[in-house]
Amino acid sequence: MPKGYVAINVERCKGCGFCVEFCPTHVLAMSSAFNSKGYHPPHVVNPDKCTGCDLCGMYCPDFAIYGWKAAESRNGAKRDAAR
Amino acid sequence: MPHADPKGVLTGVHFMDGDHAACEGALAAGARFAAGYPITPSTEIVERFAARIPTVGGVFIQMEDELAASIAIAGAVWAGAKAFTVTSGPGFSLMMEHIGFAAMTETPCVFMNVQRGGPSTGLPTLPAQADMMQARWGSHGDYEIIALSPNSPQECFDLAIRAFNLAEEFRVPVMLMMDECVGHMTEKVIIPPAEQIEIHPRRHTRLPPGEYKPFAPGPDLVPEMVHAGEGYRFHITGLTHDERGYPSMTAAAQDRLVKRLKAKITRAADRLACYEADGIEDAEVVVVSYGITSRVAQRAVEMARARGAKVGRLRLITVWPFPTRQLRALAPHIKAFVVPELNLGQIVLEVERAAAGQADTISVPHAGGGVHDPQQILDAIMEVLK
Repeated sequence: MPKGYVAINVERCKGCGFCVEFCPTHVLAMSSAFNSKGYHPPHVVNPDKCTGCDLCGMYCPDFAIYGWKAAESRNGAKRDAAR
Repeated sequence: MPHADPKGVLTGVHFMDGDHAACEGALAAGARFAAGYPITPSTEIVERFAARIPTVGGVFIQMEDELAASIAIAGAVWAGAKAFTVTSGPGFSLMMEHIGFAAMTETPCVFMNVQRGGPSTGLPTLPAQADMMQARWGSHGDYEIIALSPNSPQECFDLAIRAFNLAEEFRVPVMLMMDECVGHMTEKVIIPPAEQIEIHPRRHTRLPPGEYKPFAPGPDLVPEMVHAGEGYRFHITGLTHDERGYPSMTAAAQDRLVKRLKAKITRAADRLACYEADGIEDAEVVVVSYGITSRVAQRAVEMARARGAKVGRLRLITVWPFPTRQLRALAPHIKAFVVPELNLGQIVLEVERAAAGQADTISVPHAGGGVHDPQQILDAIMEVLK
């Protein structure tokens, strides 16, 4: 069971790669797929390593990715407060 | 402590004003980045910095406003520079948010405020000391800063260096609270050789990435920083955060963080207390002053002594944290504190709090735009002794 999860909004991504670069547990990699704007979004390659720390969400300039801990709801109070 | 980098030190005997001396102090302290939105009467500081920095090696940016200037220095600090910004009243008001940000993120930086008359646009070319409370309380939330108040161009140089050293030691924004008179007063300034200037280096961690926690405090409650670009990756946020720098918005995390931000300064208050005392041992009245007003007060004290009055003089050099304990110890031995300042009564409130009813506290206010007539201060002294 992973400790957390990430969600990726592929269409918002412009492929900067910050989330891949900064993920402390190397959960993400750039995919070879394209979104409709022609960018490569990230995809999850090591789902079991995700801690749901949301560092990816804090770094993402485009609100295209976010993480949450397994113990929390996906749209729970933590995300609402973390502005 | 290591010594100053000779590249930034203009060793010699100079005839310069307080603004230029403050700039030289910053350069001697190792400041290699300044951002500002130049404003009278502080303009000469950044003007000189902009002229000098190409020969020393660094960057000055004239920003679009004071908000941008004050947050640019935070970025420069985390990128590895020693950085400062310079302003006066209206600009200082705009910088308040980022003073709080620097306090919350423990970003060592220096804010120089050459005070002029206010509120609002006020008196751009004339002196005041009416931002003293703003320096301490201007940003929202609970935090502590350090504020120093020079009364001569020489001290502008010396205290600028001290401001940078204290910023690095405590990882806190430090205010250099000048005033228009001190800023534009031209006097002899001696800049010593670099090897006689002690510089507090940035507190860099020895822990490798992975083990390092950006906001885990040491025994003196101050955490260590990293060299940017060496693989340490963390998030710096104004949100209440835990030791790893992750937002942690709970009462417990808030209690831990904000109490530490305050305690790291208040615990060192005795060591930070810095003042010049003269004749306070057998005094019946002690005149407490700072900045340009201290020089007017000195004249008033001399006039009072010529009339046989037992008057002492206490000049605050560190204004924040306020030397409460030191003044409280003095209070039972005197009749009154007399507090002249170029505002309608700010630091006098701190003196009154410190006196705690053991001595009277007399305010000698001045709305700014000039300095006191020594006679006004003398009258207040003689009134107490009547």
